[in-house]
Amino acid sequence: MNDQPEPAVKPSRQDLLEQLESAHQRLAEAHKMASIGRLSAGIVHEINTPIGSIFSNNEVILRSLEVLKKLLAESCAASVAPSQEAMEIIETMATLAAVDKIACERISGVIRSLKTFSRVDDRDIRKACLEGIIRNTLKLTGTIFRRRIAVETHFEELPEIECYPGLLNQVFANLLVNAGQAIEGEGKITVTTRRENDFVHVSIADTGKGIKPEDRGRIFARGFTTKPIGEGTGLGLAITREIVEDTHGGSIDFESEPGMGTTFHVRLPITQTRKSSPAS
Amino acid sequence: MDKNEQPAVMIVDDEEMVITSIRAFLRLETEYAVHGFTSPEDAARQLETNPVDVIVTDYLMPKMNGIQLLGKAKNLQPEAARVLLTGHADKQSAIQAINEIGLYQYLEKPWDNAQLLLVIQGAIERTRLLRTLRDKISELDAAHSNLKDVQTRLLRAFL
Ligand SMILES: Nc1ncnc2c1ncn2[C@@H]1O[C@H](COP(=O)(O)OP(=O)(O)O)[C@@H](O)[C@H]1O
Ligand SMILES: [Mg+2]
Repeated sequence: MNDQPEPAVKPSRQDLLEQLESAHQRLAEAHKMASIGRLSAGIVHEINTPIGSIFSNNEVILRSLEVLKKLLAESCAASVAPSQEAMEIIETMATLAAVDKIACERISGVIRSLKTFSRVDDRDIRKACLEGIIRNTLKLTGTIFRRRIAVETHFEELPEIECYPGLLNQVFANLLVNAGQAIEGEGKITVTTRRENDFVHVSIADTGKGIKPEDRGRIFARGFTTKPIGEGTGLGLAITREIVEDTHGGSIDFESEPGMGTTFHVRLPITQTRKSSPAS
Repeated sequence: MDKNEQPAVMIVDDEEMVITSIRAFLRLETEYAVHGFTSPEDAARQLETNPVDVIVTDYLMPKMNGIQLLGKAKNLQPEAARVLLTGHADKQSAIQAINEIGLYQYLEKPWDNAQLLLVIQGAIERTRLLRTLRDKISELDAAHSNLKDVQTRLLRAFL
C-alpha cells in the first residue's frame, strides 16, 4: 500500500478504507442480528410449548396436593389405608414432575445453543471441531424447521481445523436458514462432511425450489435477494463467501436444479498458512 | 348424541408433554373424556367414527398441520367446535387460514389453564346446542314432509 501523505483537505485513502471497513462491519453485524431475529421466531415457539406445560403442571400439582391432603385426612380419621383415588393422584403428580424435567431440559438446550451462536468473544483463531460447530448451529436452526424438514447428517471423522469458530457458526447458520427457506412445505436437508487432502469439505443439500439459471451469477452479490422484506436481506451469502474465502482461505460453490434442490459446498483448509485477521 | 352423555375433548399436539399436561388438568377439574393424539393423521381417522364436542389442536405438526386437520374435522363433524392452540411463531400463517375453517377460538402458548377451561366449556355448550338444533330441524323436516303427505292424500281424496 502507498504510504505517501495525502492532501489534508480530502479524507485520506487510509481514512476512506477505515470508514469502509467499519461500515462493512456494521452491515455484517446487522445481518447477524437479522438472522438471529429470524431464528428467534422459531425459538419462541420452541420455548413456549415447554413453558406452557410447566405452568399447567405446576397448577395441577398444587391443586392435586390440596385434594390429596383432604383425602389423606379422611382416611386417617377413618383409620383406613389411603384410597385408590389418592394413589392415582400421586401417580399423576409423579408423571407431571417427569414432564417438567423434560420441559426444562428442552428450554435450557435452546438457551445453550443460542448462547454459543451469539457469542462475541469467539473472535480468535483457534483449533476447533467442525462437527461440533455444525451440530450446534443445527440445534438452533433446527428449531425453525424441526417439524417441517427432516435433517440428515453424515459426519466423517475429521481433524480439528484452525478457524474462527464464531464466524463459521454464521456461515452454517446462513446456509441452513437459506436451505430451510427454499423448502416450501416438507423437505429434507442433508449435511455431509468429509476430508479432502488438506481440506475439509462440508456440503449442505436441500430439496427446495432451487436457484433460477438467471440468478446463478448474482446470489453472492451484496444485497441480492429474491425474498420479501423481513425475510431476506441479501447479505447472507456475501458475508458467507467473505468468511470462507477471504478469512479462511477456503472456497464456496453450489449446484442447483430448479424444482429439485440446491447443494452448497464449502471447503476449508485444515491449517491456516496465512494468518489473516477476521475480515468481518 | 345423548345430551347427558359425557363430553368428549380431542387434544392434538405432536408434543406429548402438551397432551399429558392438559389431560391431567382436565381429569382433575372436569368429567370430560379426553382423547389425546400426537399424530394429526390418527386424529383425523378417529374423527371419521367417533363424535367429539371440541377439538383443540396445535398448528405446526409433521405431515398435516392444525388447519388441515380442522378442515377435515369441519367436513366430518361440522358441529364439533374447533380450537387452535399454537406457538407464537405460527401466528401469521395460522391467521390466514382461520377464516376459511371457522374457528371457535384461537389460543396461544404458553396457555392459561383457567382460560383454556372456559373455552372448552363454552365450546362444549355450543356444540351441544348445535346438535340439539340440528335434531329439532330434522324433526321439523320430518313433520313437514308428513304434513305434505297428508295434504297430498287429502287433495287426492277430494279431487
Ligand atoms: N439453498 C438455496 N436455495 C434456493 N435459493 C437460494 C438458496 N440459497 C440462496 N438462495 C438464493 O440466493 C439469494 C441470496 O441469498 P442470501 O445472500 O443468503 O440472502 P437472503 O437469504 O437474505 O435473500 C436468496 O434470496 C435466494 O434467492
Ligand atoms: Mg440468507
